[in-house]
Amino acid sequence: MKWFAGCSWLLLLSAVVVIHSGCHDTIDAPAGDLTSIPYHPVSYTLNVPASFPALEQPADNYMTVDGIQLGRKLFYDPIFSIDSTISCSSCHLQEKSFTDGLAQSTGVAGKTPRSSPSLLNIGFDYHGLFWDGRVKTLEEQALKPIEDPIEMGNTWENVEQKLRAHPIYPAEFRKAFGIENKSEINRDLATKAIAQFVRTIVSGQNTKYDRFIRGEIFLEEDEFNGYLMYFNLDPNLPDAQCGHCHNAPLLSTNDYFNNGLQEAADLESIPDKGRGLITGNLADNGLFKAPTLRNVLLTAPYLHDGRFNNITEVLDHYTSGGKNSPNKSTFMYNLHLTESEKADIIAFLRTLTDTTVLSDSAFKSPF
Amino acid sequence: MKFILYSVFFGLIALSVFACKEDDKEGTLTLHFKAVYDGQPLQTFTTYSFNSPEQIQFTHLSMYVSDLTLYSGTTEKNLHDIALIDLSFNSAGAADSGYTLVLENVPASSYDGILFGIGVPPDENAKKPADFPSSSPLSLTGYYWLGWNSYIFMKTEGRLDTIGNGDFSIGYALHSGSNQLYRTMDGPVPLVIEDGKNTDLTILFNYKEILEGVDIKSNPQNHTPQDTSLIMKIVNNLPSSIHLIP
Repeated sequence: MKWFAGCSWLLLLSAVVVIHSGCHDTIDAPAGDLTSIPYHPVSYTLNVPASFPALEQPADNYMTVDGIQLGRKLFYDPIFSIDSTISCSSCHLQEKSFTDGLAQSTGVAGKTPRSSPSLLNIGFDYHGLFWDGRVKTLEEQALKPIEDPIEMGNTWENVEQKLRAHPIYPAEFRKAFGIENKSEINRDLATKAIAQFVRTIVSGQNTKYDRFIRGEIFLEEDEFNGYLMYFNLDPNLPDAQCGHCHNAPLLSTNDYFNNGLQEAADLESIPDKGRGLITGNLADNGLFKAPTLRNVLLTAPYLHDGRFNNITEVLDHYTSGGKNSPNKSTFMYNLHLTESEKADIIAFLRTLTDTTVLSDSAFKSPF
Repeated sequence: MKFILYSVFFGLIALSVFACKEDDKEGTLTLHFKAVYDGQPLQTFTTYSFNSPEQIQFTHLSMYVSDLTLYSGTTEKNLHDIALIDLSFNSAGAADSGYTLVLENVPASSYDGILFGIGVPPDENAKKPADFPSSSPLSLTGYYWLGWNSYIFMKTEGRLDTIGNGDFSIGYALHSGSNQLYRTMDGPVPLVIEDGKNTDLTILFNYKEILEGVDIKSNPQNHTPQDTSLIMKIVNNLPSSIHLIP
């Protein structure tokens, strides 16, 4: 009886094995096959403010609805960091206008040497990304933090494995890029998706300033005075010198400047070389990218190393003329602005605030 | 009869081919833009004597050069619409080499001279950087000044030591812009462009001459819309300060 019972179990097990193998032989496609999932890319048209330049997308990464959706998930997913604690959104929080509110951003291995710049309108920056402009495109930019030992401390090989083995992402990559097999998921596609999402983070028509420029409203007297000084439009008011580096419509030229943060007798001895490390040109030592001033009052602390805690400190620095070095911007000198004039400029900077972008559901975490 | 017809037919074809070839003869014109001061290649961050006892350093020199045109009699051949020429070089070698603009497919011919504008022509100056793709030199917002509703045509920036003691404490930024400051330069230098060959032309900007009579100390910046007198001086100095060397 015992023998019979044992045989029964053996037969049953064999039957299961046969049925299971039979299933594999007749139903399953090759391992990792995704072709049963529909691929119908729908192009996405971004609503670009009228005053802005055209949004230029790489020819091999035009935005699609599914590409953006995948990019948004990846942006908020800590899957990229070695210990699954840090995502892109850790340093670029929507509620802080896509900065993190820290002087120096924190990664898996502690503090980075830089403050997180805002991602607002970053898709329109064609002059290099990061504070020193080390990469040219958002796709290239998204590659970097993953393997930075302080930021995410991971390897792309590891991330690619995790994405391929993920229960959801293979299908998402299929919908976004039409891949036929999980094995095609790679860093190139992951960064393309993130870049597509980041290009949608646009702000340029909801601020008081934008409405004023469109002729829909008037500014208050202090705001208007600040506006005149910012762009040096009134010879009877001092030139606050802001427009040279933070010009309309993006409120940044996206160019690089030495803004008088480091005292140095010669170009070689500028301690934090910034742009100079990238170009190898001495004249670029100590230069950093001028960030957008849209939502500037929401993005403290300020400057590339977060050294100023509030906007008043920033104004005090710029109007003092800063520290001397050979390539300090020629627009940096003691402006002798009164406290009232500084207050007017801050009042104008407040008109650059767009709170809608902080709660726009299109930018929120999908998780 | 047949022979004559064939001869005429092929003769016409040969004639048209050779005629086309004659028209299609093209060469290259390479323009070398260079900044000089006191006869030497101008290096940024280098000290030069200015209005004694003042000393001057340059940190940035650039200008839009537009509508580059070769002319022969009353015939003109436009070669290039606009380029941003950056002459900010901080090494002797780079300053000596200058900024090179290569113009290809220039019709082979003898020309009487070259015309070019310093600045952005009025029709283009009516537009804004956002109207241009990022590949265009006119897309740069750092070269647009809202107060003038104009591109910045020419930037001359640096630092001034007013008493000659080596303290370059005054930063200056002399920018030109607005249609009234657009200037067309006429360089009556004979140029021969030969088929398949390159012709070089050096265009020197002598900054000592450009700044002749300019009181930087009293007016180191000029960005208010009404403030054109100082920059007008610079613009009016341009024709006698730009030298063409074939």
